[in-house]
Amino acid sequence: MQLKRSLEDARFQGAVLLGPAVLIYCVFALYPLFDVVVMSFQRWNGLDPERAFAGLDNYRFIFTSDPVFWIALKNTVIWTVMCLIFPPLLGLLLALGLNQHLFGRGVLRAVYYLPVIIASIAVATMWRWMYDPFFGLFSQIMTNLGMASSIPDWLGDRTIALYSVFVAHLWHSVGFSMVLFLAGLQSVSQTLVEAARIDGAGRWGLFRHVTLPALRPTVTVVLVLSVINSLKAFDIVYGLTGGGPAQSTQMLALWAFTQAMQIFDYGRGGAISVVLLLITCAIVVPYLRWTQRQEEAAR
Amino acid sequence: MTSAALEAATDIGETRRRADPVLVGLWIALVLVALIWIAPFVFMIFTSLKTNEAVMATGAFHPPPEFAWQNYSAAWERGRFDTTFWNSAIIAAVKVPLGLIVSAMGAYALARMQIPWGKAMLVVVLFGTMIPFQVMLAPLFTLVNGFGLIDTYPGVILPYIAFGVPYQVFILHSFFKNVPKELSEAALIDGASHFTIFRRIFLPISIPALAALFILDFVATWNEFAMALVLLQNQNMWTLPLGLMAFQGQFSNDYGQLNAAIVMTVLPATIVYLMFQRYFVSGLTSGAVKE
Repeated sequence: MQLKRSLEDARFQGAVLLGPAVLIYCVFALYPLFDVVVMSFQRWNGLDPERAFAGLDNYRFIFTSDPVFWIALKNTVIWTVMCLIFPPLLGLLLALGLNQHLFGRGVLRAVYYLPVIIASIAVATMWRWMYDPFFGLFSQIMTNLGMASSIPDWLGDRTIALYSVFVAHLWHSVGFSMVLFLAGLQSVSQTLVEAARIDGAGRWGLFRHVTLPALRPTVTVVLVLSVINSLKAFDIVYGLTGGGPAQSTQMLALWAFTQAMQIFDYGRGGAISVVLLLITCAIVVPYLRWTQRQEEAAR
Repeated sequence: MTSAALEAATDIGETRRRADPVLVGLWIALVLVALIWIAPFVFMIFTSLKTNEAVMATGAFHPPPEFAWQNYSAAWERGRFDTTFWNSAIIAAVKVPLGLIVSAMGAYALARMQIPWGKAMLVVVLFGTMIPFQVMLAPLFTLVNGFGLIDTYPGVILPYIAFGVPYQVFILHSFFKNVPKELSEAALIDGASHFTIFRRIFLPISIPALAALFILDFVATWNEFAMALVLLQNQNMWTLPLGLMAFQGQFSNDYGQLNAAIVMTVLPATIVYLMFQRYFVSGLTSGAVKE
């Protein structure tokens, strides 16, 4: 009797402690996730009381009759590939450099990390001004270098707008990769480094055979986080170009938002979201299994 | 080795390092890139203190001929910063502590109690840290609208908490898991409830982790844009990022004022970062990289 009461008591305590988190998470995160999938099979403008079943119509539309979807998909792929290469690579180089005992490295680290804490919409506003064709920073620099006649319209030219946006994103995000790599570098065994030095390993040999293997888990983490963050690209595009000119910087997350919240076609917006969600899962699920295996191996 | 000898040895190490030409080259390269990295800030601050005439007449890195402080007061007025600043402050002041408490309680239960489906919940949590909320903006609007909470503080605070819970639970769970069992078992045997153990033992010892999460979450909440864009339609409810976006749309030709508006938006988060730098890095990396 006594035991049963205390058991019930523990269950009650567990419910009180865990309840709020589970409740809020289920209502405001899991339910919308479920609802977006449901929406993608419906025809709805966001106002009607009825949400009519539409089968696969929305998917058929975005795949066959919506050219912007394909542009957005292509841009998302280009963007993701760039995010996989440049911020991690630059972040790794900075981390390797700033891991040395250099004068003022604390200040240097702070400088590289500073952009990360700035709101992405503020980054967009800043860079939009720097890209200003007349008085912006880049145009002035090119004028000073005597190239005034060849100043491109950084954000207005369809062929380069996406890359201009990416440069702003690069400035914004490199510090994040750098910090992760710096943390990873702390796990490189100093005994191993010393041993390799005594064996006469040069800098490159040291990096290639000691540092890099030790960094492998960190590299995986950084790459996965880069991909996931790149799929979320929304604020910076919205703030810099809004997807234009002529949809040349349109991406899946922004196009899903535009379809639902501005064109009021929740079904098509939902279908685009589901495509993005599936791409995310295709990356996240193998990664989660990999971390699980790592943890079991560590045990 | 005596400490004097040790010092001498490191001294030799230092001088050898300092003379290393590769490291000198590296240092110069890092400083040069850092100057490029900081250039946008300099450009922004200079422009924010120039009148429009000065912007057109002087070079980008030319310091302002005279400080046009009126840009700041004008931008504050026209950008309705009193409203947006206030809204951002209220939302952050409620969301950050509340979300952290909710997450900490949940993390404690998952780490230290027998919870049915506890393992499965952890997987959901981990999964949740990686799912982009950007794909659910439309259903989120529908849901919050269904509760009649569009353009209200709870209407944006509750979703913020929901999307903050997975990361915070994930970090705190691994933190609580590593607390020695003896600490809580002794208290349990003495008849203390889980509430007491959580409040008296776990909260105090996890202050460093909580502080790191607090600061990270403050900056993230302060900066959040996409959800606020969907959930706060009324101008009087806008947060700073929404106000800045609107300012850019309306007054993008008032270069000085626009930059003053950016500086004012960015400043609070920057100050928090500079004050609590240490916590930032530890909070970020504890989740992603095992040390």
